[in-house]
Amino acid sequence: MAASDVVFRVKRYRPESGGRPTFQEYTIPYRSDMVVLDGLNYIKDHIDPTLTFRWSCRMGICGSCGADVNGQPRLTCGTYVRDVHKGAVTVEPLSNFPILKDLVVDFDDFLRKLASVTPYIVRKDWGDLTKEYVQYPEDVEAYRQQSLCINCMLCYAACPVFGSSPEFVGPAASALALRYNRDTRDEGADARLARLNTRTGVWECTFVGECSVVCPKDVDPAAAIQTLKFLATMRHMRRLLMPGSSSR
Amino acid sequence: MLLEPIFWSLFSLGGFITAFLFPVTLFLLFFAAPFHLWPTDPAAYSTFGGHWKEPLVRLFFFVLIGGSLFHGTHRLKFMLMDAGFKGRSAEAFLDVILNGVAIFGSLGALFYAVRGWLF
Amino acid sequence: MPMTSREYAWKRRPGWWLRNRRYLMFQLREAGGVICALYGLVLLNMLVQLRAGESAYTAFLDLLRTPPVLYLNVVLFALVVWHALTWFMLIGKAQPIQFTRQPLPWKVVFGINVLLWLGVSGAVVYLIFGGI
Repeated sequence: MAASDVVFRVKRYRPESGGRPTFQEYTIPYRSDMVVLDGLNYIKDHIDPTLTFRWSCRMGICGSCGADVNGQPRLTCGTYVRDVHKGAVTVEPLSNFPILKDLVVDFDDFLRKLASVTPYIVRKDWGDLTKEYVQYPEDVEAYRQQSLCINCMLCYAACPVFGSSPEFVGPAASALALRYNRDTRDEGADARLARLNTRTGVWECTFVGECSVVCPKDVDPAAAIQTLKFLATMRHMRRLLMPGSSSR
Repeated sequence: MLLEPIFWSLFSLGGFITAFLFPVTLFLLFFAAPFHLWPTDPAAYSTFGGHWKEPLVRLFFFVLIGGSLFHGTHRLKFMLMDAGFKGRSAEAFLDVILNGVAIFGSLGALFYAVRGWLF
Repeated sequence: MPMTSREYAWKRRPGWWLRNRRYLMFQLREAGGVICALYGLVLLNMLVQLRAGESAYTAFLDLLRTPPVLYLNVVLFALVVWHALTWFMLIGKAQPIQFTRQPLPWKVVFGINVLLWLGVSGAVVYLIFGGI
């Protein structure tokens, strides 16, 4: 191996042949400005066209290129090889998800969870759609942080609770629920809190905090979940003490 | 009915109580005298028994014991669930046992806190 | 979770919390919380022994101060302090109730809490244990 080479240890899983996932090593030319995704694309273009992985935008916004790099969930397009290169770069599919092939995981379950928190503006009455629903900068600021989520699912790969309880609604879906609950145009807060105030909702979270560490967009889902626990408790107590009161 | 919001509230309250009050209390009662870090022995029978006559001291220990029990049993429940003690019946079992310890322990502390003071 | 048969199911390894330092610190924090409950029971027993009289109380205190129990206590005490410090960090990181328009950086909240902790500890020394 030349001094300007780097070894990629990539986890392979071939669904047609069954069996356990195995590691395959590739030695490729190293450049100081290459990201992990560049290495994977080099392998696919020059060495092994059967290597399968998702990617699209190469600029950290599409959220499709997540993988465990040296054991930590990362966007491969935003991870420089020079920062993680310790002899070899190990690339594995995101933890906690079933593997479809090589680095491609099945996230249907995540999409169902996302849908369960109605991650869009809910209104009882849309009213006059020719007029605007005005928001001031501080209204936007209230939910801006959570709205930056790109659904890359790194937070799910980092969450040991999701790893042992796949039914847990999880970090990103919770953060997005908070994002819409904080939107002044939205009227669906009560239904979202009802969804999250369940055995599979926010109560499973033990505040490990790793979701917020790995988040490439600084959404801070861990803090969002603690806020939701607080809001869900307030709602719960209000309904216990004042059963007649209307929602919100 | 979902009880988790109630136990989570007690867990959080207990978290504040244990974080702010436990280290100094344990230090004074368990370590100050044996390691000669304090001029007197705050845990000695005459000293501690003397302070125990004050209602504030009794309230303090009731809050401390109740808070720590609700806090610690809640964490133990989730540690055990994480270690594989899962499923609805296992969780119900943990809820009954651990919250039972917290509730009866708090009632016990309350009993000793008011005994000899209110009756 | 419904899966097609050709998918490879994920299983979390039992030693997941040894995978990185933050996971390990989390487990120690949780253990510290459980230790607090254990000390809650010890304190409760102290009250029971206090009620039972001087000889029972002193015997219990002596048991706590035999070397093996004492050194075990030192280790557990370290976990209790770690629990307190991490709790102050968590308050900074979560802040479900905000007292300022913008959330404060968590290290600021942590610092405020530690100062408050020292103040409260001093107050406990004087109000509960009769001063130095």
